[in-house]
Amino acid sequence: MSFLGYVRSDGSVGTRNYVLVIPQGLISKMICDFVVGTRTFQTVDHGSGRTANDRERIARVLIGLGKNPNVASVIVHAASPGVGYPELRAERLADEIRSSGKRVEIIDPAKDGGVYGAIAKGQQLARSMVYEASKLRRVEVGDEHLCLGVKCGYSDTTSGIAGNPAVGYLFDKIVKAGGTAFFGETTEIIGAEHALAKRAVSPHVAKEILDAVAYREELAKSTGLDIRTINPIPANIKGGLSSLEEKSLGAIHKAGTAPIQGVLQYGERPKGRGLYFVDCWMGSYSIFVGYAAAGANLVLFQIGGGGLSGRDLLEGCPTVVVPFLWCTANPKTYAMAKDNIDFYSGTVIEKGEDPEEVGERLYRTVIDIASGTFSRTETLNYSDPIDLCLEEPRF
Amino acid sequence: MAEKRALVMHAKDNVATAIEEIQSGDSVRIPQGGQSYTLTATEAIPFGFKIALDEIPPGGLIIKYGETIGKASRLIPKGALVHVHNLEGTRARGDLEGRERR
Repeated sequence: MSFLGYVRSDGSVGTRNYVLVIPQGLISKMICDFVVGTRTFQTVDHGSGRTANDRERIARVLIGLGKNPNVASVIVHAASPGVGYPELRAERLADEIRSSGKRVEIIDPAKDGGVYGAIAKGQQLARSMVYEASKLRRVEVGDEHLCLGVKCGYSDTTSGIAGNPAVGYLFDKIVKAGGTAFFGETTEIIGAEHALAKRAVSPHVAKEILDAVAYREELAKSTGLDIRTINPIPANIKGGLSSLEEKSLGAIHKAGTAPIQGVLQYGERPKGRGLYFVDCWMGSYSIFVGYAAAGANLVLFQIGGGGLSGRDLLEGCPTVVVPFLWCTANPKTYAMAKDNIDFYSGTVIEKGEDPEEVGERLYRTVIDIASGTFSRTETLNYSDPIDLCLEEPRF
Repeated sequence: MAEKRALVMHAKDNVATAIEEIQSGDSVRIPQGGQSYTLTATEAIPFGFKIALDEIPPGGLIIKYGETIGKASRLIPKGALVHVHNLEGTRARGDLEGRERR
């Protein structure tokens, strides 16, 4: 019941050991292209024209990534020196990340000789930080230091029958060991919210779950559309799912059966351990970075894929600093994308494998990857730009 | 002809999920409380799609996982395919409330 991880000064444990460079942009890219062991964040959401709430969501993601246990140290560059929105100022981001005890350095084109100067200074800093980080050794730690996040996607009926239950078994096991786990996608608990509310640790948390669904359902109704024209998505329908309720009732199996400790906002860090629901949109490239910002050190994308064809899942890792696993229970999906799938649970359907045995196999896969084995996407030096889960209009 | 397999997720369910390709006329083995019975598919049921275990009248609730996944938009015969052509969702139906489309 243990894995090999990097113990940080705040007591959290990393499954990886990166130097992070934020926010996105030319300076970060030039540093990360030049120096091994560095990661940066690609997004088009700079905060410009965004409301204070949404700017704070962006800041929460950047700060959360900096504090993530998989990060050894951080370089923050001043994207708009002296004139930026207060929420996103480099000093503010750096100070909050420093509270976790990490080394954080700021580079600023206005003080460091323009963009060329800032790049050169950043490259030097990053090299020294990566060198220092490389001295840290993995040590054996208990499973209570695992913090997992899951999303299900391209769902089909194999998701609810076999794929999600395998992840649910894993979640139950990690939560029982004292670890932390996140699930989310508020639209995709519509129709299953009463079952989740019953598992809340308090009436207050139950109300938060029901309120999150009521808000999202009302927003959906305000479009004047049948939600089925939006979600389930065409790939879900082609995979055999007939309504949002059916999708939701299958989707909640991925969260296991543990009590729900609370409802978190996108990118918000939990105050304790256990299972948490994250109130956010389902977007594949949004939700995972939100989990990473909340402190996840390993995430899983459990897919159906019955509605897909010609997709080998050659897609980059949308978590910046966190290992990302593809899992499926659909034999056609597994055959289509074997090189990129980390875990296959379709044996439950094909061979009648006991769900507990499948769950144990998934657990061992997760422990291996947490301890340093690459997930398949980690062998790629590519990630699509990340679309943050922002809620308000732009002006 | 070999019997085809389908899964029932909960005792209250009135649909089962095909876990292999089912052709019209195939005999489908349906598990029920530790025992099982057979049902004839009245049309093709692709892998992962649902077959009706009973006749479901128009407006009748369709149950999977022991919960409502929608209602019948028309009569669904026993052994028929249940999908978007004869099942409609009951949640987040902005189209049913006479709301202006934004």
